[in-house]
Amino acid sequence: MESTIIKSRNFNALFGSNTVVKNVNIDIPRNRVVAVMGPSGCGKTTYLRCINRMHELIPGATSNGEMTINNENIYDMHPIFVRQKIGMVFQRPNPFPNLSIYDNVIAGYKLNGVKLPRAERDRIVEHSLTRVALWNEVKDSLNKKGSFLSGGQQQRLCIARAVAMEPEVLLFDEPTSALDPISTSTVEELFHELKVNYTLIIVTHNMQQAARVSDKTAFFYLGELVEYDETKIMFTNPKDNRTQNYITGRFS
Amino acid sequence: MDGKNIKYRIGKSYVAQIVTTLFAFACVIPLLFILGYIIKAGITKINWHFLVNIPKPVGEAGGGILNALVGSILIIFFASLIAIPIGILAGIYLAENGKSRLAYWCRLCVDILQGVPSIVIGIIAYFWLVKPLGSFSALSGSAALAIMMLPIVIRSTEETLKLLPSSLQEAAFALGIPFHRVIYKVIIPVGVSGILSGVMLAIARVTGETAPLLFTAFGNPYLSFNITKPMQSLPLLIFNYATSPYNDWLNLAWGASVILLLWVLLLNIFTKLITRKWKVQL
Amino acid sequence: MAQIETELQLLKAEAINMWTLVNSQLSKARLAFLNFDKDLAREVVTKEKRVNGSELKIDRDCENIFALFCPVAIDLRFLLAVLKINSNLERIGDIADGIAKYILDAEAPFTRELLEVTRILPMYEESVKMLEDTQEAFEKEDTILARSVFKKDDFLDDINRHAHKVLERHLKDHPEDTSQALWLLSIIRKLERVGDQAKNVAEEIIFYLEAKVLKHKNKFV
Repeated sequence: MESTIIKSRNFNALFGSNTVVKNVNIDIPRNRVVAVMGPSGCGKTTYLRCINRMHELIPGATSNGEMTINNENIYDMHPIFVRQKIGMVFQRPNPFPNLSIYDNVIAGYKLNGVKLPRAERDRIVEHSLTRVALWNEVKDSLNKKGSFLSGGQQQRLCIARAVAMEPEVLLFDEPTSALDPISTSTVEELFHELKVNYTLIIVTHNMQQAARVSDKTAFFYLGELVEYDETKIMFTNPKDNRTQNYITGRFS
Repeated sequence: MDGKNIKYRIGKSYVAQIVTTLFAFACVIPLLFILGYIIKAGITKINWHFLVNIPKPVGEAGGGILNALVGSILIIFFASLIAIPIGILAGIYLAENGKSRLAYWCRLCVDILQGVPSIVIGIIAYFWLVKPLGSFSALSGSAALAIMMLPIVIRSTEETLKLLPSSLQEAAFALGIPFHRVIYKVIIPVGVSGILSGVMLAIARVTGETAPLLFTAFGNPYLSFNITKPMQSLPLLIFNYATSPYNDWLNLAWGASVILLLWVLLLNIFTKLITRKWKVQL
Repeated sequence: MAQIETELQLLKAEAINMWTLVNSQLSKARLAFLNFDKDLAREVVTKEKRVNGSELKIDRDCENIFALFCPVAIDLRFLLAVLKINSNLERIGDIADGIAKYILDAEAPFTRELLEVTRILPMYEESVKMLEDTQEAFEKEDTILARSVFKKDDFLDDINRHAHKVLERHLKDHPEDTSQALWLLSIIRKLERVGDQAKNVAEEIIFYLEAKVLKHKNKFV
């Protein structure tokens, strides 16, 4: 029996009075890749942002219901603490443009004013960059700014930055939609390696990607969680007709 | 579409191009004339003696503008000290909380303040600071100039920060960085070139303001470092000496004009260099 | 390595295992036939379940790979080939099982003369060789070896075509062998089908490796 790391019960997310995520009940298993797919506007990104409490940064955005990590309610914890345990990687690679590659990786510590000894910092940087298969490519240019890196490398740098905080969960919001196909497959390779140490939740509008990389898939439609099952079953024999229509391309 | 029609339209387009180029030149020409005239008139009056002496009484030859130089530097320094922190912080507030009621009223007031005539600001400073404190002072002059600097600093800070992509903030928040650190360690460092150019612009603007200083700093024939007492400044000196009948004083006015011009010119060039060097490639 | 490569390699290994299994079934049945070894025949019948189970697993794995990875080009041809080869191998397994069941039901070994006149022994050896050749061609991606299988099938077809006449002539002189002759004819028919199945497998291998469709075509390409 797999252990569950993140649980949602009757979870709703609202913008003002408009409910965009309705009554979601889901168990995310530890050290697995869960893909969240669905058409545009189905609430999948909103739900993802509720997990690390980025949703409430938007003026007028609220949520209710239960969301727990390791059985602790995320909404009772301090948001800063939540976001250090649950890292996020965005659609457009966004390394800090004024920091070097080295500083970008430990930005989570440096910008928080956490002073670490030099050896510890070096260890974290090397470890994180190795985890994202970037160490060999940048180890001689750690002091340069990240802007000369390609899109795929920048995105891996952002993943390294999130990994450096030693989170338990990594959230990905359409992480490869701004990348070319080769960078996309490099990043997808990473998911298989990352899941050994972290739990991954990936929002994607590319269902082939969901099929390729995930162990379990959740299908959102019009704000509701329609179906959530093993990826193999979702793509060979889904139980809900809406799921089948979506993955066969009957509606976008 | 026959040939004659096309020729007419091509001709019209050509004429329009020439007219726009001509007007572009027309903008540059006045500046060149002013620069040329002032430099020609004043460059010969500048020498080392000119820079390190205070004006001599009427009748004596020589003299310089040291008190005005020092005075200008001090007044503007203290004006910046007041205006820059307030302006930057207000700009940050407006950029972050763009839609709140306070932000709306704040922006409105900043826009109105930008349009208030400089002499009116001077008069107000006179009634609020000079009269109650009992004397003219450099500090009240600084206050008046600070009020003039505020709108520029606030607006340019707000615009710079608004131009930064929101993904920058998001990335910082997602790392678990608290709000104040996101502003001071991420947003400001990336936008520093824009903010700095706003500050420089504000300084360049108030360097030559005379009206606010008329009733506040008032002027001082002697060299003084006391900011609670009246102080001389370059625009005041030019104002007073240019309309005087004494040749020596006229010379001082011309020299001071050149110095002032050079100061503003250098400030602008410096700003351009700094912003290019410090501009963060997003 | 990309995830799909890993999956395809696992599938290839499974297919080779299935091949080895069916090969051993056919060879064991041949030995049982040769030596009238009922114990060996019983082994073959018991192992038939394994062959069926293997077929189901390979089918399911192919379905999953199609669904999850949407393969194209050579990967797609590989999967289509494996899918078909899978069912061909399973049928060969069935034939081996059938032959073994005959041995179990038979009361006495076949007479030397019958065996020689029908040339069933070389036919059997050749069919086993054909299957082994296809396995090697698949493992080593050798299309020349795959093509050599077609010629061997001609040999089997030849023996099969003459079996009827040969047996008729023999039975005129030895009518007591009728029962055995009928069974032998059945087995010859089965072996001819093994040859056909092996030929189909070779066609699929060439399709996968060269994207050439040799089905229903004259074989001299």
